[in-house]
Amino acid sequence: MTTENTTDLQTLEKPTVEREGTRPGVVFRPDVDIAERRDEFVVTADLPGVDEQHVQVKLEEGVLAIDGELATTPDAAWTPLYAEYRSGGYHREFRLTDAIDADRIQATMRDGVLTLHLPKTDRHRPRQIAVQGG
Amino acid sequence: MAQYWLSSPWANDPWASFEQLRRAMDTFQNPTAAPRRTGAFPPVNLYETVDGYVLTAELPGLSAGDIDISIERNRVTVGGNRQVERPDDGSVHRAERASGQFRRSIELPAEVDADKAEATHRNGVLMLRVPKAEQHQPRKIAVKTR
Repeated sequence: MTTENTTDLQTLEKPTVEREGTRPGVVFRPDVDIAERRDEFVVTADLPGVDEQHVQVKLEEGVLAIDGELATTPDAAWTPLYAEYRSGGYHREFRLTDAIDADRIQATMRDGVLTLHLPKTDRHRPRQIAVQGG
Repeated sequence: MAQYWLSSPWANDPWASFEQLRRAMDTFQNPTAAPRRTGAFPPVNLYETVDGYVLTAELPGLSAGDIDISIERNRVTVGGNRQVERPDDGSVHRAERASGQFRRSIELPAEVDADKAEATHRNGVLMLRVPKAEQHQPRKIAVKTR
């Protein structure tokens, strides 16, 4: 196959960059799933503890950035006995190609999961060409 | 910060201390390099309050009705099924989110009053609050003057 892989989001993720001083507290990289359908990409990110008021999805110069903050934090009066996870904010970014129609990106937040629908631009959708008999 | 990582009462893995040291060094060099959580799903945190315990678990994507909690003496069991949707009409570029059945059993330091347990699930975080059993409750001793 000699297809040009211009629509592959996977290779386009930027390495996590340290951003000192701009955010209070610790920031973690959320787990994501990226799936490609015929006419869209779907990015799903686990952001436990974040509600729709504390999540920000920003597209700037072709970089899609996901930022989340916890809606509630553990009560300071509680004594931690045992911990398997740490709480903090979330940050992850992806570089998008021009294969995505930025104006039609949709985002929903439910039960701590952010779902982004990134529609492909018309010219990047697969097209069936009807072959006519001569 | 977070010293309680180093004092898990369930750490019976002989190699755990090496892992803890490595983790501590990572944390020292770069606070965000430390792993956010352990591999178990769901990851749980346990807190003690004045009269009981608070157990939190990260279960993003599940709704309240999908989570089973049971308490027997001082053992809390959290179970359920997290079905992550992956399209069958396309390709998957990245699959980092855990999917499938899960069951965790956590022993609390003291017996609890299961009848008074309350659980909420908000924004993908389960919070179970349960008071200690009567005999473990703090008691106020009146001081008498003679």
